[in-house]
Amino acid sequence: MSVFLSLSKLYVKSFYNLPGKKAPGSKATGKEIGKLVGVAALVVLVAGNLGYLFVVMNLNLYQGLAMVGMQGLLLLNAAVMATMLTLVVGFMTSLSTYYLNDMELQLLSMPIRPRALFGAKFVAVYVTEAALSMFFMVATMVVFGIKERPHPLFYAWGTLAGLLLPLPALAASYLIQIPLLTFARFLRNKKTIMIVGGVIGILFGLGLNIYFQRMMPPVADPAARAATFAGPGSAVSAMGRGYPPAMLAWRAMASPASASGLVAALMLLVACAAGPALVVLLLSGAYARSLVGFNEAHIRKLSKDGAEAFIARRLRRRRPFPTMVKREFDMMNREPMYLLNGPFIVVMLPLIMGIMYAVQKDALLADPDMAGVRALIDGGMGAALAGLVGAFMGSSTSIACTAVSRDAKALPFIKSLPIGPGAYLLAKLGHALIFGAVGSVVGVGLISLFLRLGAADALAGLAASLALSSLLNLAGLWLDTANPRLEWDNPIAAMKQNPNAVIMMLGAMGLLGGAGYLAFVWSMSAGEFALWFGLAPAAAFAALLAPFPRFGERRLAAMEG
Amino acid sequence: MIELSGITKTYAKSAVKAVDDLSVSVRDGEIFGFLGPNGAGKTTTIKALTGVLRPDAGSARIDGIDVAADPIAAKRRIGYVTDNPELFARLKAAEYLNFVGDVYGVSSADRRARTSEYATLFGIKDALGASIGSFSYGMKQKLLVTASLLHDPQNWVLDEPMVGLDPKAAFALKEIMRARAAAGKAVFFSTHVMEVAEKMCDRLAIVNKGRIVFTGTLAELKAMQGADGSLESLFLELVDDSAEESA
Repeated sequence: MSVFLSLSKLYVKSFYNLPGKKAPGSKATGKEIGKLVGVAALVVLVAGNLGYLFVVMNLNLYQGLAMVGMQGLLLLNAAVMATMLTLVVGFMTSLSTYYLNDMELQLLSMPIRPRALFGAKFVAVYVTEAALSMFFMVATMVVFGIKERPHPLFYAWGTLAGLLLPLPALAASYLIQIPLLTFARFLRNKKTIMIVGGVIGILFGLGLNIYFQRMMPPVADPAARAATFAGPGSAVSAMGRGYPPAMLAWRAMASPASASGLVAALMLLVACAAGPALVVLLLSGAYARSLVGFNEAHIRKLSKDGAEAFIARRLRRRRPFPTMVKREFDMMNREPMYLLNGPFIVVMLPLIMGIMYAVQKDALLADPDMAGVRALIDGGMGAALAGLVGAFMGSSTSIACTAVSRDAKALPFIKSLPIGPGAYLLAKLGHALIFGAVGSVVGVGLISLFLRLGAADALAGLAASLALSSLLNLAGLWLDTANPRLEWDNPIAAMKQNPNAVIMMLGAMGLLGGAGYLAFVWSMSAGEFALWFGLAPAAAFAALLAPFPRFGERRLAAMEG
Repeated sequence: MIELSGITKTYAKSAVKAVDDLSVSVRDGEIFGFLGPNGAGKTTTIKALTGVLRPDAGSARIDGIDVAADPIAAKRRIGYVTDNPELFARLKAAEYLNFVGDVYGVSSADRRARTSEYATLFGIKDALGASIGSFSYGMKQKLLVTASLLHDPQNWVLDEPMVGLDPKAAFALKEIMRARAAAGKAVFFSTHVMEVAEKMCDRLAIVNKGRIVFTGTLAELKAMQGADGSLESLFLELVDDSAEESA
């Protein structure tokens, strides 16, 4: 196998935490098979949900555009969306994997050409990009294919576009990052990169959200909505005009069997391949050089007198439990991967909600149907909505459902300390509940503000939110204690790639969706909602909490790190 | 005093016994070396005695307290230096010391005095305000040693403590071990550096493939093997012999 292929394989396995091949002759245990089936089912569920979302979005858009005979614009939108999504995700992924770990230094000491080194990294990042882009293109092809029955070449050009469109976006990401990391030494630090990358990713994400909101303005008339979407000032038109690959993909798919379609497809191939080729050709050397000295640590030293004063000032006794809770905060908030995918959600979700509100406020308030909705809100649904949003925010930080997995490396040492397993796990629960309370207050507060709820409704929502989020956080901790992810090289595996986080996210959606449905069907008043969805989860929380320390003790004893 | 009696452990993911019917006792006032090749079962034994692992059979007693029956009381009497100093990289050194001090219930005055003493000895005093993640491997090891002594434990358990230490720090560590033994405390450490074991240990045990193949003093080992070589050559002979017997 060539060095390039071998390296690409290594990077892909390392990025995605793929398990190695089983030793010949060794058979999978029942637990391993069960786990595999569970993870596969989870992947199908998540992919199905996302696919459904994309198909419905495309279907709505198609129906609006078809009314004004502009359904072909659906394909331009798909190309624009695939480009934007892969640009956002590609920029984030390429930045966070720029220097994977100290394995990179080891690779630098080997006789590997910079082009192979950088090319392999490019390929590994591209795998995600291609999957994401194809996901969106396939959703569009399904809708357009069923409705319009295009020529079979449509699917060929659509697939080609899906695979090619991420390439320039990824090349552009590296075109920015390599010079930046070559010249800005302070950025050559994993922690700094994660923070900077996280902020950029959030800004990109918010921008994408604005695009989504503006793409489908909530205008009652579908034809007017389509005209707004397809107008010369629209985001789709602007992107289509300003970004030739999206335009070429559109042309190829819009007239697939024609010569112009073929020419557009070939031009797309050239245009998309040129970017990566140039970046690999010109910047590989700079990339390899920028890896040297990455993660260099500088210790800020104290003076002799300063050290004594420091010891006198900073070393002081506290009670063990608050100390353990503080450790949970420090270990999570100081690891950018954990912070950005965990507690930061409490900041991120309100921002997204704020954008949705700001963009759609006028249209929402002007909608005649809102008069009926107002009555529902005042009749108790406002409190329910506030409570459910608050509970979702309070339980969406993944603090509890990844708590044991995040501690995998430290578990043997923790177990040697004179602290009971129950106290250790309760410190983790305390950490999650504090963020649960913050998320609840923020979520309920925002919804109360948006919907102009009264104090009684807001308090009813808050009571239910606190109870529901506490229950979900405890359930998440049970899950991660029962089945933690203990073997990983990269913290991404403990957090983002942890099945427990996905299970809890889907579980929370199911529970909260069900609660909302019941509140609606039974026309609950604010008081009734607070009573049922405050007391029942609180009782379930108490019932789960009582046996938890003993369960945790047994589980921790069984973890043989 | 540390007493291990009939410790047996097979990991869930393995069919082989990592430790098999292992018994050892470390008296107060003695430095006890635990020697063995890689994978012999040294770390598994230490994990069993520090309460990290629950053995399948046998018991570990610390100053007469059964680790399984009263783990908290037993652990309070141990200072443990793990073989993996790559822990808590996101904490600052002082925060880590405070965490350990709080968990072991060390008073503010004691932790300040001991931190100052050991951090000075190991040359990390000026780095106490820095993040552990910025430390070299050796500095992390020095910090672990300092933290393990914060509560002045009666029993000091060190897993491969010399790894990563510079000569000055290694010397300081050996001095502390001697001083603690002289003060009537038990010191139990694992190593595969024969020179260290030869110079430091009052008694030693050699473990291979999970079983003890020798326990006693260096003189007793020489007498048993009928040779007057270095500990290294005696160790190699013994380990080879036991490998041949089991094969």
